Amino acid sequence: MKRRAKPKQNAVRTKKRGGERARSRTHRAPINKPPSDFLDSLIAASAQALDLTLDPAWHDGVKFNLGLILRFGALVDVFPLVDEAEPGPIFHA
Amino acid sequence: MLETAADNWVWSNAADIAAAVSAGRTSAVSVVEATLLRIRARDPLLNSFTAVTAERALACAHAVDEARAAGEPLGSLAGVPFAAKNLFDIQGLPTLAGSKINREAPPATRDAALIERLEAAGAILVGALNMGEYAYDFTGENVHDGAAHNPHDLRRMSGGSSSGSGAAVAGGLVPLSLGSDTNGSIRVPASLCGIFGLKPTYGRLSRARSFPFVASLDHVGPLARSARDLALAYDAMQGADTDDPVCADRAVEPVSPLLDRGAENQRVAVAGGYFKCRNAETVEALDRVAAALGANRDIELPQAERARAAAFVITATESAALHLDRLRARAHDYDPAVRDRLIAGAMTPAALTVKAQKFRRWYRNEVLKLFREVDAILAPATPCAAPLIGQQMMAVGDVEMPVRANLGLYTQPLSSIGLPIVVVPVPLEPLPIGVQIIAAPWREDVALRLAHMLETKGIVAAPRPSL
Repeated sequence: MKRRAKPKQNAVRTKKRGGERARSRTHRAPINKPPSDFLDSLIAASAQALDLTLDPAWHDGVKFNLGLILRFGALVDVFPLVDEAEPGPIFHA
Repeated sequence: MLETAADNWVWSNAADIAAAVSAGRTSAVSVVEATLLRIRARDPLLNSFTAVTAERALACAHAVDEARAAGEPLGSLAGVPFAAKNLFDIQGLPTLAGSKINREAPPATRDAALIERLEAAGAILVGALNMGEYAYDFTGENVHDGAAHNPHDLRRMSGGSSSGSGAAVAGGLVPLSLGSDTNGSIRVPASLCGIFGLKPTYGRLSRARSFPFVASLDHVGPLARSARDLALAYDAMQGADTDDPVCADRAVEPVSPLLDRGAENQRVAVAGGYFKCRNAETVEALDRVAAALGANRDIELPQAERARAAAFVITATESAALHLDRLRARAHDYDPAVRDRLIAGAMTPAALTVKAQKFRRWYRNEVLKLFREVDAILAPATPCAAPLIGQQMMAVGDVEMPVRANLGLYTQPLSSIGLPIVVVPVPLEPLPIGVQIIAAPWREDVALRLAHMLETKGIVAAPRPSL
């Protein structure tokens, strides 16, 4: 049987102000900083794939931002969701 | 004498101006002339306008006055001057969206939906407002048009990306403006400039004929110097619009008649965990608002930090897709800070975006459960009062963070699930700062009622700068 990760069931909590805050285990998941040379390779390959011409002077700025986005992306990536989870690209709140 | 009277009207709220015009105590033409005088005199300090539509405004003002003279009914915003962030289409002008590239675009052939709706209620457009390039900004700085300055201290940021929308209202140039909010671009300038701002429920107000940024997250809404003015503008702008595929097919639900109901029976909590900020001004502002609303407990939005991360990824990748063709052809013409982020977004694996969108729906469902227990949640709007223009880093508690990416620290995890939010200004010295009042979807009335009650009690107010 295929195993599916389930979102935490106890994610919704309330407490009196000033009380101890319970921590979600997923908050402690390590977020790896992408290695610098890996980012250089990714930038070069992506620029080619996307037909983007990069001025060498932009490289450090792009690299900084790509590293930042990937770190945020890793934070999302480690969160367990069921296979049936629907994306919400457009939703009516 | 004329200029003194004119200045008084220009600082008046929209509701007062509309009442005076409707009663014949002043004319729309005199209000608009006063507004144009003040823009001419004061905007060189603020740099909030990128275009002034004087001829059009005076023509509209004459039409309002003629309608009154003919005994025709006037709208709820009769004679009220307003201005719009320059990503809203204004007929006859190119829609800049804060960019250099769009200056070459052909003039818009029709006004944005929200401009049409405000003018249908009698309001009068007086110009287009400065903004961060393509709305990818929290600072209010713009390499093409210059930074919009904070009216309370001209050395400081207005906040962005609706920078001119914040500065023009806080500086008394107009009582009402339009902005857009993808991750905090109405709420950040409202907080830093000390005014009220409404980011409505996702899909509530039409985005038709405005330049997009991140379709999944883009909202539009008003900024003003009172909660009542926000409500008046919001009521005038509601309604379905097939020109915006996201705009909800909902009946208009007027909020203005409900404002005086106050906070009775409203259960209010303070956002805990991720939203706890130890900066003194943020704590002081939040404590004042919480005390006035009887908010004596915390409530935790689950996974808020991850929600911010999801919004960050979605923003980077969707905006990159929007700009990819321009990045290939005109990358040198972008603000370098915006360009580098867009290019990085284009290089981000698509799977992360889809996972972020999936997480976003999960997070939304969890947060909606909280509204079974409370009617509104309070949170800081910004981690600090207005930083200096050009400032790169800021302290949030014990942590030094880049200003540009983190002024939206507390706004980003909320707009990503489309909740309606009103920012209320707490008039601290030397600089004001905002607090977010967050309500359940489609309950703008709750957030606006609480904002109005706080204003009536004197807890929140838009302080008048000494310009």
